[in-house]
Amino acid sequence: MSMEPRETVAKLVVAVLFAGTVVATAETRKEFHFKVHRRASVSVANQFGPIWVKPSSGEEVVVTAVLHSDKVEVDHTYSLNRVSITSHLLSGADAESGRVEYQVLVPADANVTLHSATGPLRAERLHGDVILEGNTANVDVRDLVGGHVHIKTLDGPVTLTNVSDGHVEITSVGGDVALNSVNGPLVHVNSTSGRIVYDGDFGGGGEYSLMTHTGDIEATAPSYASIDVMASSTQGKVENDFPLQPTHTSLAAKAGSAFAGTMGKAASSVRLLSFSGKIHLKKR
Amino acid sequence: MTDARKSQGDRLSEAEAIERAKQGHEEAFEVLYHLHKRRVYSLCLRMTANTAAAEDLTQEAFLQLFRKIGTFRGESAFSTWLHRMAVNVVLMQLRKKGLPLVSLEETMETEEESPKKEPGAEDVRLAGSLNRLQLEQAIDDLPPGYRMVFLLHDVEGYEHNEIAEMVGCSIGNSKSQLHKARMKLRELLKTSRAEKATQP
Amino acid sequence: MTCEEFGRVLPELEGDHHNIEQEEHLKTCSFCSGLVSDLNAISAQARLLAEDQEPSPRLWNSIAIALRQEGLIRDPQASARLLGLRLGRWRLAWLKPVTIALVVGAALLLELQRIPRETPVAQQAATSVPVIGTADGVSQGSAIDADQVQLLNLVGSRAPAMRAGYESDLRAVNAYIRDAETSVRNNPNDAIAQQYLMNAYEQRAMVYEMAMNRALP
Repeated sequence: MSMEPRETVAKLVVAVLFAGTVVATAETRKEFHFKVHRRASVSVANQFGPIWVKPSSGEEVVVTAVLHSDKVEVDHTYSLNRVSITSHLLSGADAESGRVEYQVLVPADANVTLHSATGPLRAERLHGDVILEGNTANVDVRDLVGGHVHIKTLDGPVTLTNVSDGHVEITSVGGDVALNSVNGPLVHVNSTSGRIVYDGDFGGGGEYSLMTHTGDIEATAPSYASIDVMASSTQGKVENDFPLQPTHTSLAAKAGSAFAGTMGKAASSVRLLSFSGKIHLKKR
Repeated sequence: MTDARKSQGDRLSEAEAIERAKQGHEEAFEVLYHLHKRRVYSLCLRMTANTAAAEDLTQEAFLQLFRKIGTFRGESAFSTWLHRMAVNVVLMQLRKKGLPLVSLEETMETEEESPKKEPGAEDVRLAGSLNRLQLEQAIDDLPPGYRMVFLLHDVEGYEHNEIAEMVGCSIGNSKSQLHKARMKLRELLKTSRAEKATQP
Repeated sequence: MTCEEFGRVLPELEGDHHNIEQEEHLKTCSFCSGLVSDLNAISAQARLLAEDQEPSPRLWNSIAIALRQEGLIRDPQASARLLGLRLGRWRLAWLKPVTIALVVGAALLLELQRIPRETPVAQQAATSVPVIGTADGVSQGSAIDADQVQLLNLVGSRAPAMRAGYESDLRAVNAYIRDAETSVRNNPNDAIAQQYLMNAYEQRAMVYEMAMNRALP
């Protein structure tokens, strides 16, 4: 064979391979539909990339996934009333090539579980239970009524807006936690170094516990709030804008580091505790 | 292991767990919880149709059980004792909220409530085509008073005299409510089937 | 018997128990026999619903905590002696996250047999960071022990970009645990101090759990 045809063939092979590579690394969009009934369970595990969950219009789970490369696949299992979606990383995948972006529509009463290292994670307008877990994922939950909300994050910031009538439990090592209009029978935040900001009514006759090791706590409530509050910082300062009725408590109220008392009918129990951060109970 | 031997093993382990729970052993409480959690939770969930409320009530039922376990002498089956406690916890909660437990109307069926026989209408039977999910959805759509009696009788297996005592109505009323609940479910299930049949 | 008469007695009937007159009517009337069949089918299906729902796994945790708070759990002294820490009625409350950490550690040891160890110099560098204290005595960061270093190495082998973040988080929660343990030792009956310690262990258990999830294939 002469050189020229061989070179031509080689160039052709390279061109085909290159074209194949371009095609393979292009984004791929996939869509899945699952018929479910009431109180379906839906879980999505996605190492890299966002997951956004919204209510669907019918009794159906619709999953739209955009895969950034061929180094990641979307696996799914579906049985009876349970849907599970997992991003499966193939050999050589990294945070960019392994990225999948999910938009998931579920019946509003579905129980939803989301896992992502990088996120962000977003859930809105649901009333089933919601469990969100992320490392550095930005977590955003809004307009949830009635269901339990459980969030675990290492360093990702957490924001809850308009969440009511369910249990809220947030555990975050270093991520800041912002609660806007969050009320319910139980609201617990456990943080190591993250800052906790609460802006709401402390309503519903609930038990509110905001605790952090070194982070600051800033709680803003209206003048009509009905609370039995205790605030203490072992090493930091505390400030209070409300005139509290004193209560019988074993808490040694030292000026600047602790206060306790009631407002209104003391319907809700509120604990603001930081080991060394500042605590400020502000009046809206 | 055969079912008989397995169930015998379970009974023995439950009895052991009860005795150890009386002495305050955590693992005994946990064994009892896991043995009965599904039944108690299912009951609470169906009665409240809300997972958060159902979990709260389940927790309260088990806490009451564990507080009183020292008084259990084995006169009745442990599961019966626990289950009755769970029902009482739910009923108390519903009463606190002022929700109706059963209708206080007497038993007479009205003309509107009697099943109407339509000449020439095809009567497609439910038996053989009814599944759990369809029934669950229909139960959720029942009025609260009907749902309560239906759950206690057909799902949980209580007799009418027990239901009457628990919810504070007459035995006749309990029977009437149950019948109305079943008729309403039949109507809901047939309507749902008809709607599905007309969908493209 | 007419359909109307049958309908009036239907609420009183239990299952398939009918008298002769009712049986005769059912044999000849497809409408009423269909109705009875449907109602029996509904009742039969309902019996299967009794135990079909499973509560969330966290429910037992809530119950256990409440039982401890009420003093209904009277587990033996041996657990406290073994751990060498007397915390009054809270002594068992933090066992759960510690147990989780031990289980995770056991899984870690099994996995580590497949990971080549770092060189001694590198290992020393990883563990030699001193405790960083502040003037007011609150730990801002705390040393990580050898097991935690191995966990971080495991995470680093599978997700290198995440190693630094996990290390920082472990230092932070270790500091939290140190401060909480000190506080409990100084005030063994202080419920707030005990709650801090529980929270701190819960934080560390969460870090371990997430690290293992990332690290395992």
